[in-house]
Amino acid sequence: MISENDAAARRASDPVTQEPILEAEHLKKSYGGRPALRDLSFTLAPGRILGFLGPNGAGKTTSIRILTTILEPDEGHFAIAGISSRYPERIRARIGVLPESQGYPKEMTGIDYLVYFGQHYGWTSSEARQIGWALLEVVGLQHRARSLIGSYSRGMRQRLGIARALVNDPAVVFLDEPTLGLDPRGQQELLALIRRIARERGAAVILCSHLLSEIESVCDDVVILSVGQVVARGSVTEVIGQARGNGVRIQVPLSAVAEAEQVLEALPDVIRVVPKGQGSGWIQVELLDGAPEDNTANNAVLEALIQAKIPILTFEAEGSRLQEVFLQLTEEAIR
Amino acid sequence: MSEAAIAHRGRIDRAGSWRLVLARELADLWLGGKALVLLTLFSILLGVTAYLMATNNELRLIPIKEIAYLMLKLTVAFGIFMSLIIGADSISGERERGTLEGLLLTPTSRRQIVIGKFLAALSPWPPAFVIAIPLIAVLCRDSQVVSWALLWGGILGTILVVGVTGLAMLVSFWSSSNRTSIAVSLIIYLVFLLPTQFPGQAQTGAFGDLLQKWNPLEASNVFLAKVIVNNRSVEEMASWLLAPILFAVLTLGLLFLYASPGLRLEPGRARTRANWGRAASFAAIAWLPITLALSFAMTLPTAAATSSESPVQIAVDREWATARTGDEVEFTTLVTNAGSETSPPLIVAMNIINLQGEVVDPEDWSPQRTQSIEPLAAGASIEHTWTIDAILKGDYMVYMVVVPQPAGPESTSVPVASSGIHLTVTPFTRINPRGVLPLAVGIPLGLTASTALLRWRRRRAIAAGEGEA
Repeated sequence: MISENDAAARRASDPVTQEPILEAEHLKKSYGGRPALRDLSFTLAPGRILGFLGPNGAGKTTSIRILTTILEPDEGHFAIAGISSRYPERIRARIGVLPESQGYPKEMTGIDYLVYFGQHYGWTSSEARQIGWALLEVVGLQHRARSLIGSYSRGMRQRLGIARALVNDPAVVFLDEPTLGLDPRGQQELLALIRRIARERGAAVILCSHLLSEIESVCDDVVILSVGQVVARGSVTEVIGQARGNGVRIQVPLSAVAEAEQVLEALPDVIRVVPKGQGSGWIQVELLDGAPEDNTANNAVLEALIQAKIPILTFEAEGSRLQEVFLQLTEEAIR
Repeated sequence: MSEAAIAHRGRIDRAGSWRLVLARELADLWLGGKALVLLTLFSILLGVTAYLMATNNELRLIPIKEIAYLMLKLTVAFGIFMSLIIGADSISGERERGTLEGLLLTPTSRRQIVIGKFLAALSPWPPAFVIAIPLIAVLCRDSQVVSWALLWGGILGTILVVGVTGLAMLVSFWSSSNRTSIAVSLIIYLVFLLPTQFPGQAQTGAFGDLLQKWNPLEASNVFLAKVIVNNRSVEEMASWLLAPILFAVLTLGLLFLYASPGLRLEPGRARTRANWGRAASFAAIAWLPITLALSFAMTLPTAAATSSESPVQIAVDREWATARTGDEVEFTTLVTNAGSETSPPLIVAMNIINLQGEVVDPEDWSPQRTQSIEPLAAGASIEHTWTIDAILKGDYMVYMVVVPQPAGPESTSVPVASSGIHLTVTPFTRINPRGVLPLAVGIPLGLTASTALLRWRRRRAIAAGEGEA
């Protein structure tokens, strides 16, 4: 299981010092004159997990297909593990991909599926079998190795797809919506697996997902795309910091809502206090804009409540969640 | 793993990767049951046709050579149909099932992928031809034509199957959905069959030659018919081989040199609208068997009905006969010149009338219905033996006519008829005509059993897999 603290701790302790394993420069792609990707540039270091975010039609799938050599860019260039995008077959030997709408041959067993793909990467049949068994163990499917894929659940197929993406010991792994359609437990297990891939194999991972909490909990870096262009790029902490934070949300016991409103309205930095959600105990506090990273007003709100001995059930600073940053930035881009 | 990984990266065998794709596609096609189901259908169709042909041959309706040709024609037509279905599914089907992307993401080159798929799509043709061999050999066992027919049927069938597979894969290459790909491939196939359905006049002259000679399917049929049935030499008919060979070379060139290096996830061209695809698919699927049946029916032997004073007399040696269908009835005629002068040359002809008024095609009833007699001296007689094949149950009158040759263009003569032979034919069905029944039943049964066994094993494997869950 991955906690947000784990992810945050890793983000803080793993400064990007290594040479990038993936470098993309000014990638552009249009379909019949309609631009799908306007200008994508970013780098990714080994062992890092990059979240690829964007609303539908933002250009995520086009980006992934270009970087995995399924599509050719109209302009721009990229390199993976030092191999230029001019050599797509060599690049394909160094990447592992779980496409979003991956289909599986129902008549094959899990192990035969991995052996088949292993052989495409140059392994002999026995080498590929050995690797296949090891990978099935990594993704927790060793007990179903000899079952037909037709009998696998969706989660098992996703895990098999990840095993296939690792069969060539790739330098960069692309996972497009890997948790789509999985139950919460399945999602957690898969995210833990992705984390292990980056940590134990040193592979860079590019994770495309609509679930922002998923990206926030597991990713080190993030690229947010909107209408074909990059609207934010950097570590998760940096990107969250780009959001305008001008308020806090507090939850107190219902009996203390009136008193808390009174206390907060008396504070100098508070513009307005608005109770939210009737009978929920939530209070929205609008604050004067301060300098970035300046938490004085937030601290003043907390101190005032503590001094008034009002129990604080929840405290959230606005703009501290990736979801808010995402919504803000993508809405701005559309406007 | 990483050390081994570093070692293996230098030795990715791209040139041989088509074998991996071929092995995978063969497993999918054969163990998945699709090829076996198609072959089972083919064996049932061929078995029924062989049985009907054997029955007709027992009744002497179809000559042996023609049976060999018709059986080969059917085999090649089904071979083409199978490669069309499999070829049309090979790329667009993977697009639709979402399995193409995984393959395109491997270092295996696009051309290697297409080569593997192409060879797999050809795989049902050799077994289909092998299924036809014993049936044709048993049906035509008294004829020298078998090996010759099989040789040329095999060669032309292979050329056509290669060409049609290439064509279907090209269509599949440019199609986003399987339905569109199969519908378009079947429509192209029907366009090839269309000229054979034109009225006879449209198939003669320079235009007719053009229609037939440059249509690979029709040119192959004409070649096989002339070489197997009409004893024409291969040299004489060589120009009819040009269209099928060019067709195969052209489709292979387009597939491997032009299309395959650019194989991608999206189809090469704009998408066909789904409704058009569905309508075309329905029309093609409904019309294909009808066109095949029409084409086959038109090749079955047809026949035209035929039927004229003097001292010459003709007598038959029996007044009546009874027979079962399939039996032969023999009788003799005695032609006598009762005059005092030598007769002119004479022609003796057989005629058969159905006493219920049904139409009789005399050609079906006797291989030799006329015999000529040199001028007959006065008082002389001559005897002839005749054979009738009782092919249909019913009540008949068989009578003979002797026709003196008229003296010149402006004269005539009076035909003289014999007394009639009342022929009663009772029905009789042979269960095993020409000994073809065991093969006609055994092969489809064997294939059905193999298909059922595969399905049972698969169900058991899935059940076992679910049990492990």
